[in-house]
Amino acid sequence: MEAHMLPPASSIKRWLLTTNHKDIGILYLVTAIYFLVVGGALSLLFRLQLADPSLNVLPPQAYNQAITIHGLVMVLFVVSPLAFALANYVVPLQIGARDLAFPRLNALSYWLYLFAGILVVVSFFQERTLDVGWTLYQPLAAGFTPYVGVNTGGLGLGLLTASVTVSTINFVVTIFRSRAPGVRLTALPMFTMTILLTVLMMLYAFPALLAGIIMLASDRVLGTVYFTSNQGGAILWDHIFWFFGHPEVYIVLFPALGVMADILVTFSRRPLFGRRYILAAMVIVATLSFLVWGHHMFLTGIHPDIRRAFTVTTIAISLPFDAIILSFIYTLSKSKIHLRTPMLFTLGSIAIFIIGGITGVFLGSIALDYVLRGTYFVVAHFHYTMAGGALVGLIAGVYYWYPKMTGRMFSEALGRIHFVLAMIGFNLLYFPMFLAWEMPRRVPVYAEYLAPLNQLATVGGFIFGGSFLVMFWNLLYSLRHGEPAGDNPWNAPTLEWLTRSPPPPHNFDGTPALVDGRFTFLAANGAGHHSHETHLSPWPFMLSLASMVVLLGLTTHIAISLGGLVLLAASILGFARERFVSHEPQLGERWPFERVDRMKLAWWTFLASEIVLFGVLLSAYIYVRSATPSWPAPGTLFDIWHGAVNTFILLTSSFTLVLAIAASRMGSRAGTLGFLGATMALGVAFLLNKYGEWTELFSHGVNFSTSIVSTSFFLTTGVHGAHVTAGLLALAYLISRALKGAYVREGHETLEYFGYYWHFVDIVWVFIFPLFYLI
Amino acid sequence: MVASTVEVFNTLWTLFSSLGILVGVVVISYLGYQVYRNRARPERPEPEDAPKPGEAPREQARAGKLLISVILSASIVITLISMTFISLGILDNPPQEAFEVKVVAFQWGWRFYYPNGYEAVGELRVPKGVPVKFYVTSSDVFHNMGIIELRLKIDAIPGKVNVGWTRVDALGEYIIRCYELCGDGHGVMTGRLIVMEPEEFNEWYSSLQVS
Repeated sequence: MEAHMLPPASSIKRWLLTTNHKDIGILYLVTAIYFLVVGGALSLLFRLQLADPSLNVLPPQAYNQAITIHGLVMVLFVVSPLAFALANYVVPLQIGARDLAFPRLNALSYWLYLFAGILVVVSFFQERTLDVGWTLYQPLAAGFTPYVGVNTGGLGLGLLTASVTVSTINFVVTIFRSRAPGVRLTALPMFTMTILLTVLMMLYAFPALLAGIIMLASDRVLGTVYFTSNQGGAILWDHIFWFFGHPEVYIVLFPALGVMADILVTFSRRPLFGRRYILAAMVIVATLSFLVWGHHMFLTGIHPDIRRAFTVTTIAISLPFDAIILSFIYTLSKSKIHLRTPMLFTLGSIAIFIIGGITGVFLGSIALDYVLRGTYFVVAHFHYTMAGGALVGLIAGVYYWYPKMTGRMFSEALGRIHFVLAMIGFNLLYFPMFLAWEMPRRVPVYAEYLAPLNQLATVGGFIFGGSFLVMFWNLLYSLRHGEPAGDNPWNAPTLEWLTRSPPPPHNFDGTPALVDGRFTFLAANGAGHHSHETHLSPWPFMLSLASMVVLLGLTTHIAISLGGLVLLAASILGFARERFVSHEPQLGERWPFERVDRMKLAWWTFLASEIVLFGVLLSAYIYVRSATPSWPAPGTLFDIWHGAVNTFILLTSSFTLVLAIAASRMGSRAGTLGFLGATMALGVAFLLNKYGEWTELFSHGVNFSTSIVSTSFFLTTGVHGAHVTAGLLALAYLISRALKGAYVREGHETLEYFGYYWHFVDIVWVFIFPLFYLI
Repeated sequence: MVASTVEVFNTLWTLFSSLGILVGVVVISYLGYQVYRNRARPERPEPEDAPKPGEAPREQARAGKLLISVILSASIVITLISMTFISLGILDNPPQEAFEVKVVAFQWGWRFYYPNGYEAVGELRVPKGVPVKFYVTSSDVFHNMGIIELRLKIDAIPGKVNVGWTRVDALGEYIIRCYELCGDGHGVMTGRLIVMEPEEFNEWYSSLQVS
């Protein structure tokens, strides 16, 4: 079969190899629902434990694992992926694109997500998985839970951040570069708009999580002391985790707000109220979200003035949300509301989110948080926002786009039954938790007087969980037996409804263009043009599988890891060498990146995430250093000469790389090869010098776990060294291609993209050298 | 009132919950009212500006309505922040004269150190009506010392000493619980705070054999 033809939906091959955004959307959807069942089943288990004050259904060890994995799975493997299931399917349709900018990378994000989830599930069967709460508080997670499964689960989270980063880059480039003619940023439907804001937040939040996980894994495996020493410890983790964690709340929520906004317009038959104010409010929230993390730390003894500042930012963030929600409600005035299932879920979600938002203001007040911290009030609040606002909002989206995805209508009656059961179950489950605010979180046993509230919650939990069975049945049954939906069953305005249900592989017949506020379709000139594009590749799957095998080997048998590494290398080579054709649309709106081609934009986006990764590592260094009164003077522990020589080597290597690119442009094969070779030699020299430096330190008894000083030195320079190593591997590949005559005159862009990375790694060293060696 | 911290909490809690419930009820009722009033009935005409398929997004922009609502919310929020800061003035400024106790949390229990050097595990005795200052830390992982009836919570973090205070005005026994997940024993990590008449307390305190 030709790689540009998609096999039929009934073949397994189609689903393993597809790179089509709609297929990937379906894969995300099914996987997210699978994890919803996993996370939900865990929660029902501990709701059973809590049905009585002193049961022993789940002993404490099992209980702690259940709540931890429930939290992690729901936040990272259910709600966000569900949003990206919809985004995968809908965003290209809403902007009039044929696919995402990088279809193979899109498949890669999905498979990395799936295999990351599998690692987390596998960790259950390795003695004990993560049992420290989804917030992974320290030093409990670093030093007090010595089980292999904890490592596996942690590595699973690390792999997930890779998936998220890849998908972030893809959506940024797609939304900026693949819009149909006339679709200016201001004309984006709300859902696509919220996805854009979401990926921008993800770009800065997830590398912080990755940095935290790298430090945590290093503490657990290599014996560094970031979180087990008092200079770093609990507070350092709190800063890193919540710098990620609070934006994560909005990352989870924003796509749901976008879904709800689109649905409100469709079913109320009125334009959105204050669209521009909603967007402004969302931009404010996205920015402020990186400035509120301290409210998770009011009691940790951070400086009183800093606490006050965080109170102001936290309570202030409720104002833009006010504007958003009130605009949603004002949209309804003088409207004509069709109360179909998606609209019902949207209205339910808004009502629930109002309660979640108001109770969030309680927690933003330090003086109340002093008392409510660590209690069921917090549990109730974030379920009202994340389960009620985000998950229920996204469920509305699943119903809304189901006819588009399948070409069939679901049963409206069953949809309404699901809605009623879900609302009753949800409120019965979570509202009593506000009233049980005296009860500590994460305890398997509790005081007698709290029994009635907990029993209500348990009953509610089973109703809420059970309501989803109605949905699953409805969606599965309607797949075959639903009424044919037609192109636009909801009479909705956005572009995805102007094509067939389900849309053809190339999405639209003809090129959509927005002219004078209305979409028209330009004649499909060169209809044969995109049929040459590739839609199948085995490498995303193989690469992700190999990554999982490598990580799994680390916690089982190292031989498995080595095997995995071979597979990984083969997959990366296969990926790089595959002739995969996907064209950027020839016409379109690309502001503000008209002059930045998609690869360049992708590299810039990737490097932005790398800046955060190193930013967190260096901030951690500055933090622990300021907490350590007896930091050794420069030159006493780390040899300045080693550092200076390496600085010289790396800067020179940047220079030789620039010369290689110049030679490639001028068409000099010898020059290209020579300067690439010189860059390679310098990179190797850097690593050899570093090896010498490290062995010298080891021989003087300075190792990973000696002190916080050695910990921060080895890990920061180690992560940098790993980047140099990755760069050298890429360079080796480039040289092997250049030997066969590549990059002369044509294709020098590839060298330039590599150059961005290499120069970036050098610049990082320019920060590391003075910070660690000179001051 | 049972304790000074309870007074501070109750004031704020009453203010936040009454405003919270008021705002919640008003907004959700307004939402319900709009949905009810504008529900699709056959005789109801399609709105004039109804979005049509294939149309670029438009908006209803009447900033006035939104501005007024946001100003209203802002005034509520500013009230809440100010009240919070006033309460903090009390919570963050313990009186100079106080009975001082050092608390060390561990997996899974509480160790108390009295000013005279006496040490006890699981049970802390303090005099009624006297400000008590807690210096809280941990010897292993992150815990949180919470005496929920007294509306008092202090993080117990290894390598850090956090300070909190209260004045208990009612005799009795209060349960100390851990409010931060700290391992398998988290749910049963309890201790007791016993509040005694000052004379009785002094008698007990001076009879202690300190090694």
